[in-house]
Amino acid sequence: MNIFSDIEPFMLRAFAVAVVMGPLCALLGVFVTARRMAFFSDTIAHGALAGIALGFLLGFEDPTWPMVLFSLLVAAAILWLKEHTDLLTDTIMALLLSGSVAFGIIVLSMLKNKRGELHRYLFGDILSVGPDDVWLAVLLCAAIGAWLFTKLSPLALLTASEDLAHVCGVRTRWLNYGFVLVLTVVVSLSIRLLGIILVTSLVVIPPAAARNLARNLRQQIILSLIIGLFGGAAGTVASYHWDIPCGPAIVMACIAVFIVSLVVSKLWLNKPAST
Amino acid sequence: MTHTTCSHSAADIAVSVRDLRVTLGGQAILRGVNLHLHRGQLVALIGPNGSGKTTLLRAIVGLQRPDSGDVRIFGESDLKKALPRVGYVPQRLALDRSFILSVREFLALRLRETQHWFWHRKRDTDDRIRAEMAELGAESLLDRPIAALSGGQLQRVLIVFALLKQPDLLLLDEPTAGVDSPGEESFYDLIGEVHRKHKLTVVLVSHDLSMVYRHASWVYALNGVVCCEGSPEHVMNADSLKEAYGLNVTPYHHHNHSHGPGGGTVQ
Repeated sequence: MNIFSDIEPFMLRAFAVAVVMGPLCALLGVFVTARRMAFFSDTIAHGALAGIALGFLLGFEDPTWPMVLFSLLVAAAILWLKEHTDLLTDTIMALLLSGSVAFGIIVLSMLKNKRGELHRYLFGDILSVGPDDVWLAVLLCAAIGAWLFTKLSPLALLTASEDLAHVCGVRTRWLNYGFVLVLTVVVSLSIRLLGIILVTSLVVIPPAAARNLARNLRQQIILSLIIGLFGGAAGTVASYHWDIPCGPAIVMACIAVFIVSLVVSKLWLNKPAST
Repeated sequence: MTHTTCSHSAADIAVSVRDLRVTLGGQAILRGVNLHLHRGQLVALIGPNGSGKTTLLRAIVGLQRPDSGDVRIFGESDLKKALPRVGYVPQRLALDRSFILSVREFLALRLRETQHWFWHRKRDTDDRIRAEMAELGAESLLDRPIAALSGGQLQRVLIVFALLKQPDLLLLDEPTAGVDSPGEESFYDLIGEVHRKHKLTVVLVSHDLSMVYRHASWVYALNGVVCCEGSPEHVMNADSLKEAYGLNVTPYHHHNHSHGPGGGTVQ
């Protein structure tokens, strides 16, 4: 008898998406944290709310594509405003984040039959992961994971110094755009599971926990992938067993690993703060 | 502009810059710079703050888009073809402490670019990195994260990084900006040694006039344009420097840490 036969199909779908998106978010997160882009990731996640609302307004039953497209629009707006105005990056992101959320809430409140969707997208919903989402997650993970691994060296060099990367022949502008594109797509597609409010934690916490234990970038990447995988798997299982929301369960699983990593690094690895 | 002559053929030119103009934030930083850097020389670019030294270096390697003008490296105007022959040492790296890239990994990025960095640690690459680091007395830093290095340690690592691909031209942008005073002198000695041993053309942006006097074979004094060029003895006379700095400067030839505009004394 199949060991999965007793498990609800929606749980299996959520589990599949979590174990695919968890490591992918964690791998991206290594570079997101080092490049101080956590707030950027948060802004594009919140930008998705406006995309979701617009999708419903335009009659989409499944607002995945409007959500991804609007997040990309927000990412492009951040880059454009950074290049063409004197505004601080934090100001630009705060503006777009609050603007997107305000727009999304207003539109959703006008659509009377969609008011319940706000809670679902803000906090994530294990039930909302459909069969198509699983295939999309698997295909994306394969494509983006492959791209990331081929670009690992230029990306590491770009993170160390954009100037050095340029002199070493890296096409820095295109790599920057590629990274933003990939991050936007991955973050917006992880919203189903984790919710807009918590999705950035899956990008930030696994690399931070890995950072506590690692001695070099290679170790941090490997540990981050493992922690992202564990957080995704443990969180969805805990969510199913204890009937608790999926997003917060994944985040708490990652935070538990972070606390353990912190204790281990202070008590056993004896790592000073500067390293 | 004053200059002393230095007769070389076109093939001896490492970098030629013609009528280079750069505007930043509405301000003309370079206003028609012309220079010809000869192969094998250790060239110093000096000038007051805001004179365009760093902008010129960045324009040479394509980090700064010029408004107009022409830059050629070893006669090549296509940067893609020229850059593999160039080593570049920036002023500093704006690294986040959370980025745990080790010195060994950082140097491997230069040698292997996109291949094999993640999963394989090739013995020959590793040996090469170790040997280069040992040559600069920095072997003990190999397993340290680059974000945790001091200014002087980081500069040594950046020089090794620049030299790994055996460039013909080494560009250094104020290499002692993050180095404490006692480290500066030994650092310039090290640059002089690298220049002699690797038979490179070295271009160095510097504030330290005493270093320029001791190590440079040719000096350009810059202030939006090239004010004067020549041997250190020629350029370091008070008139030439006054033209570049716009005030009275008396250079001296012993290292002293109470700098005026760049190691000379201001009167």
